[in-house]
Amino acid sequence: MIDNGLLVQMLIGALLGLSVYLPLAAGQLSLATPAFYAVGGTLAALLSTRWSALGATADGGFPVPSLLLEMALGGLLAGLLALLVGRLVLRLQGIYLAIATIALVEIVRVAILNLPFTGGAVGIFAIPQPFATAAGYLLPALALLAVAGWLCQRLERMPLGRAMAAIRDDELAARCMGIDTTRVKLSAFVLSAVLAGSTGALAAHFLNTWNARQGSFDASITTLAFVILGGSRTWLGPVVGGLLLTALPELLRPVGDVRLVLFGLVILLGPVLAPQGLITPALLERLGGWGLRSATDRKTEEAQP
Amino acid sequence: MIETLLQTLLNGAASGGVYALVALGYTLVFSVLGVINFAQGALFSVGGYLTFLLMGGRIGVNGALPGWGLPGGLPFWLALLLAAAGSGLVGLLVERVAFAPLRRRNAEPLLALITSLGAGVVLVNLLQLLMGAEGYAFPHGSDALGGLPDALVIAGARIRTIQLLLLLISAAAVLALSLWLERSRGGRALRAVAEDATTAQLLGIHSEAMVRLAFFLSGALAGLGGGLIGVSVSLPGPYFGIGYGLKGLAVLVLGGLGSVPGAIAGGLLMGLAEALVPSEASGWRDALAFAILFVVLLLRPRGLLGRRTVEKV
Repeated sequence: MIDNGLLVQMLIGALLGLSVYLPLAAGQLSLATPAFYAVGGTLAALLSTRWSALGATADGGFPVPSLLLEMALGGLLAGLLALLVGRLVLRLQGIYLAIATIALVEIVRVAILNLPFTGGAVGIFAIPQPFATAAGYLLPALALLAVAGWLCQRLERMPLGRAMAAIRDDELAARCMGIDTTRVKLSAFVLSAVLAGSTGALAAHFLNTWNARQGSFDASITTLAFVILGGSRTWLGPVVGGLLLTALPELLRPVGDVRLVLFGLVILLGPVLAPQGLITPALLERLGGWGLRSATDRKTEEAQP
Repeated sequence: MIETLLQTLLNGAASGGVYALVALGYTLVFSVLGVINFAQGALFSVGGYLTFLLMGGRIGVNGALPGWGLPGGLPFWLALLLAAAGSGLVGLLVERVAFAPLRRRNAEPLLALITSLGAGVVLVNLLQLLMGAEGYAFPHGSDALGGLPDALVIAGARIRTIQLLLLLISAAAVLALSLWLERSRGGRALRAVAEDATTAQLLGIHSEAMVRLAFFLSGALAGLGGGLIGVSVSLPGPYFGIGYGLKGLAVLVLGGLGSVPGAIAGGLLMGLAEALVPSEASGWRDALAFAILFVVLLLRPRGLLGRRTVEKV
């Protein structure tokens, strides 16, 4: 039921979940992830089909180092865009920020649809393949997820991660303690964009075609659902949410047309049944022996004799 | 030249009126609960399809009951009114399943974004199961509009009657709603709950009933918009309401969250701006609403007519 292709999609879902999680860990509800994903994917699709120096072969092959270069460039471009846009939108609070980021997603979508070199509604197709089978994509996707997860875990002990948590708890108090809140929020936003951009570059090759529909409002909410249903308090939550919710519509395929109704019901009932999400800090506490606990939890325990 | 301009402006005002309807629907719910109901776009679709069925339209070959339709068709205005009421009832249902359980648990308001969107996904896909993914066109001509001619000639310009009706009906709905909110006992009670639910409750206002009323009206406004657009253009598929829902969201923020005059002004502004986009650049039209929104948010972070709130420590 779960083949390699679906596994790669699930990993991409987990990566996008982490991208939404990062700004949220600093208390910022940004739905911009699909815009950065679309930017990264479009860049990779353009470079690999137009720029022969990257080494696309006539039979549709593509060197792996070029793929890695594109993932880096996709992340870089998305990160630069985030730096530019973030300075402007991160002054907005709460739902205003959410809607401004939806606006960004729509602007990027319409731009990709209408720019003269992005292939219009059809998009860019026959993107060269660095791997002969879907299984080949598992390794780079897993590697990217491992790096992102390691970074999120490290963040909890780093000044940046602690500042993000402080802003999430109380932005005003954080500012009073001398935290440069603008800088911290911007850092989280840029990290989120870099991750989404690299993921997009990988996804463009995996999917073989790339068009404007890849980054839409629907994707904004689905990726937010990854975080909310998985649990937004630890980085494992969005990963689990992304894996499960990407697999769900495929696993429901046998029930036929009702599957999207059922998918909607899961999104509808999930937050009601588990307001904290599937993976909560309390759950990780109980699984403590597995070494998944965050450093802060351990510190508080040590402080209590 | 003048005729073309007149036509363009009327088209703009007509779609602006529909944007205002959708934005007002968001505004009603936002002012009482402080959350955005993301199912609004789906309710817009529901209204369009209900109007189609009530006017005697038949389900297409890909639907659950191909060829099925209601016996006899209602006149345009009655179908529209009933479809709006029907969408209002569906709006009530959305409140029951997506908002009420979270309110009872005092859950984070953010969760309502997800649950309401889930409700929207369910609604749109139920529509798709029932009606199929195909597009539907309404019957045109004088029969469809209850004997009115298909087009009128005003000041030398040929104007489709339906565009004029679109503008008049949405203007009437917006005006009636504003007057009701401003003047009537029920409207005042609703505004009291919007201002401060606890105090309103202490003053003897049944705030839960007001929340339900807001959802009913909000669903009815969306349904009315969906019916109007369906009759004037067509129903391109169950997802067609989502785009209008998004535009309504942009209008909502443009005018300032929770501001009724803001929603109306924002809707008209957006409709006119879109109509003035030259046809060579029509592909970019869908981005215009969001580009304007973006700029306005940067200049006035709380919208054009939004209230300034003071951050309390």
